[in-house]
Amino acid sequence: MKFLERFLNNMDKTLSEGPFKIFHPMFGAINTMLFTPGQGTTTGPHIRDAIDMKRFMGIVIFALIPSIMVGSYNVGAQAGVEGLVAAFMFGFLKLLPIIVVTYAVGLSWEMIFGYINGHEIYEGFLVTGILLPLTLPPTIPLWQVAVAVSFGTVIGKEVFGGTGMNLLNPALTARAFLFFTYPGDISGDSVWVALDGFTGATPLAAAAASTGSAVEALNSAGFTLNQMFFGFTPGSVGETSTIAILIGAVILLVTGVASWRIMLATVLGAYGMGLIVQFFGGEIAGGMRTLPAHYHLVMGGFMFGAVFMTTDPVSAAGTNVGKWIYGILIGVMVILIRVFNPAYPEGMMLAILFGNVFSPLIDHFVVQANIKRRLNYGK
Amino acid sequence: MGVFKLKKGYDIPLQGSAERRVKKVPKTKAIAVQPIDFRGMRPGMKVEPGDAVKRGSILFVDKQKPEILFRSPAAGTVREIVRGERRVIQRVIIDVGADSSESFDSINKAQIGKLSAAKAKELLLNSGLWPTLRQRPFDRIADFTKTPRAIFISAVDSAPLQAETDILLEGREVDFQLGIDLLAKLTDGKIHLSVSASTETFFSKITGVETHQFSGPHPAGNVGIQVHHIDRLLAGQIIWYISPRHVAQIGSFLSKGEYPAAKTYALTGSELTDRHYVKAIEGALVSDLVNTPIAADKQRVISGNVLTGQQTRADGFVGFYDDMLTVIPELTGRRFMAWVQLGFKASSFWRMYFSKLTPGKKQAPTTDLNGGERAFVSTGEYEKVVPMDVLPVHLCKAILIEDIELMEQLGIYEVAPEDLALCSYICPSKIEFGDIIEKGMQTMEKEG
Repeated sequence: MKFLERFLNNMDKTLSEGPFKIFHPMFGAINTMLFTPGQGTTTGPHIRDAIDMKRFMGIVIFALIPSIMVGSYNVGAQAGVEGLVAAFMFGFLKLLPIIVVTYAVGLSWEMIFGYINGHEIYEGFLVTGILLPLTLPPTIPLWQVAVAVSFGTVIGKEVFGGTGMNLLNPALTARAFLFFTYPGDISGDSVWVALDGFTGATPLAAAAASTGSAVEALNSAGFTLNQMFFGFTPGSVGETSTIAILIGAVILLVTGVASWRIMLATVLGAYGMGLIVQFFGGEIAGGMRTLPAHYHLVMGGFMFGAVFMTTDPVSAAGTNVGKWIYGILIGVMVILIRVFNPAYPEGMMLAILFGNVFSPLIDHFVVQANIKRRLNYGK
Repeated sequence: MGVFKLKKGYDIPLQGSAERRVKKVPKTKAIAVQPIDFRGMRPGMKVEPGDAVKRGSILFVDKQKPEILFRSPAAGTVREIVRGERRVIQRVIIDVGADSSESFDSINKAQIGKLSAAKAKELLLNSGLWPTLRQRPFDRIADFTKTPRAIFISAVDSAPLQAETDILLEGREVDFQLGIDLLAKLTDGKIHLSVSASTETFFSKITGVETHQFSGPHPAGNVGIQVHHIDRLLAGQIIWYISPRHVAQIGSFLSKGEYPAAKTYALTGSELTDRHYVKAIEGALVSDLVNTPIAADKQRVISGNVLTGQQTRADGFVGFYDDMLTVIPELTGRRFMAWVQLGFKASSFWRMYFSKLTPGKKQAPTTDLNGGERAFVSTGEYEKVVPMDVLPVHLCKAILIEDIELMEQLGIYEVAPEDLALCSYICPSKIEFGDIIEKGMQTMEKEG
C-alpha cells in the first residue's frame, strides 16, 4: 500500500505542472478516493469529524443499489426474459451503457470545469451520474443521454459555479431537457419496454388515459397495487419498484444522509392533495381524479423522486422549517400536475424542479422570520 | 435564578481527560506573556531584552489605550521579545529568577464596599488584571470607557477534556467573593454566575450574584450561549465576561497587594501518559508542565481545548486565558479508502459509521482534516450543535458576502468563533466557521 501511496504522491507532483495539467482534476479525484488527502488541521478545531463528502455521496450510491438490482431485473422481466439471473443480466446490460455514457460525458465536463476553476472533481457527480440513468427508460438512445448529461452538468450546475452552488438538481435538469427536446423517446406508450416491436404503457399512462375509474383501467391493463409496489411494471429503470426505493430510504434515514423532514413532507403533501382531489376533484379531470391517494405514492417516479431527488441538499431548502414547506409544495404540485395536466401523466420531475426554483425563496422567508423574531426579542 | 437544560450541542467522546489530582511544578524555568493572546491589541513595549523585572512589573501597555497594563507574572530577566510576520510582537519571554514582587495597596471587603466605580476601574487597570475582563460583542478586552449592561461568569466548563472549575478554584472562596464585590462596582446591572447542576462547590454561598444552572452538551458552558439564554445581547448593548479563575485572581490581588500569578492547569489529551492538574504560574513554559517527552512531528500541543485552543510547542507557552494544555496525535500519512471503511473507530457526530453503535466510546483522533474543502451543504446538522436562535450557515453566508445589515440581523453580535466551533468540527465540507465569524467580527468593528 505504501508503494501505491508513493506512486500517487509522485504522480500528483508530475501532473500539477506541465502539458498533462488538464488531467490533474481527474487525477485528484482518483487520488483522494484511494487515500485520504493527508491534509491536517491548521487552526482550531484541531480535530475534525471523520465525515467527508465522499462518505456522504458513497452512502447515497449504496442506497441506490436495491433500485438498480430490482430495476435491472424488471427491465428483463418486462422484455419477457425468463429466469431471475437471466432477466437481471438482460436488464443490467441495458442499463450499464447508459451509466457508462453518463459518467464518461459528465466526468469529462467536470474535468474541464475542474481545470478551469482549479479544483479536483467533486463527489457530487458520482450521485448525479447514477441518478440520471435510473430515471430514464431502458430504451433511451445513448446519444440523447450524452446530450442530456452535457446540458444537466453545464447548464444545470457549472454555470452556477459548480457543485454546491447549483439552483436545480442536475440529474433532473438533464431529464427535463430530454423530456422537452426528445419527447418521442421518453414519454408516450412506446418506449418503456426494452423489446423491439413491443410497446407497453406505464401505469400512469394507463390511468391518465382512462375516462371512468382509474383503478379499473389499471386493473384491465394488468397493473395491481402489489405489482406497482414491488415494481414489476414498465417504467424508468430505477423508479418502478417502491419497495426497493424504500430500502434505500431506510439507509438514507438511518445514516442521516437525507432529510427525513423533506421525505416525510413530500409524502404527506402528495397524500393529502391526493385525498383532496379524490374527494373534491369533480368532473374536471379524467380518470386520474378517481385514483385513490395511496396509488399516487407507488406510481411513476414519485417515490424515487421523494427519496433521492427532493432530498438533494444542494437544491432543496436549507432551513428546517423551509424543508417542510419545500416537501409539501412538491407533494402538492406532483398531484396537481398528474391530475390536471392532460398532456403529461407524470409530474414528479417538474414538481421537484419547481420546488428547486422556489427553495431559495422559501429559505428567504424562513430567514426573515428568524430576523423578525430576533428583532422582536426584548420588546 | 434560572435553570437551563440545553439539548443542542455535542460532547465529542475523547480519550485523555485529566485525573483529579493536583501536583506542584517543582521549578519554573521560563514564562511568557503573549500579546497575540489579546485579540486586536497592539502592544507598546516598556521593557527590553536583558531588563530585570519583578513580579508585577509592567511589560507592555495597549498602544491604543495605554491605561491597560500588562504586568509580569514572574520575577527574572527578559530573555527575548519574539516577533512574527510584519514584526508583530508575539511574546515576551522571561527567564525566571528569585521571586520578588512589586507591592500594591491591599484592600479589604469593607473598603471595597465604599469604592466608587471610577476608583474600582482604576484599581483593576493598575493591577494588570484588566485584560481578564472581556466583552461581547466582538470578544475582546473590555472597553473601560463604557459601562456594561451586565457581567457574566461561566463556571460551567463543557469543552472537550475540560479543566474542572472546582479544582481550579479549590480553597479560593474568599478571593472569589472579593473579586465579585469589586466587579459589582463596574456595572449597574447584575452579575450572572452560571454553575453546573452536578458539582457541589462554594458558589452557592457567594453573594452579590444571580446564579443560574446550566446543563447539557458542549457548548452549554460557553458564556456566549449562556448570555443568549439568560438575557440576550441586543444591537448596541455591551456585556462583559470573565472566567471564575480570574475573579479569584482579582480577589487575591486585592487582599495581598501583589500580582497573583499562581495558576492551576489541567494536563489533558490522549498523547500524555501522566494526566493530572498542575500548580504553576501564568504563562508557563510547556516543557515545565509536562514531563512526557513531546515529538513535534508526531504530537500536537494545544494551549486550551481541541476545539478553540492555539497550537503551541514543547518550548512554547500556555496562553493567558487558557486553563489547560492538550496533547493529541499529529496526523501521519494518508489512510487507504477511509470513506468506504466501516468505521468502528471513526470519531463522528454523524450516523454514517459503525462507531455510532457504541456511543460515548472514547476515541483518540489525530489532527487529520479528513477530507478537502467543499461548498456548503445545508443538511440541517449545524443547527443541532448551536444552542442559540441563530442560523449558522446563513450568518456565515452573510459574512462571506459582507452584507453588514444582514450580519447584524442574523446575530453577529451574539456569537464568537468558539460558539460555532462544533460547526467546523462536524462539517463534511470542512468549512472553517471560526475564521468566517472572526472575519465578520472584524468587518463589523471596522464598518459597523
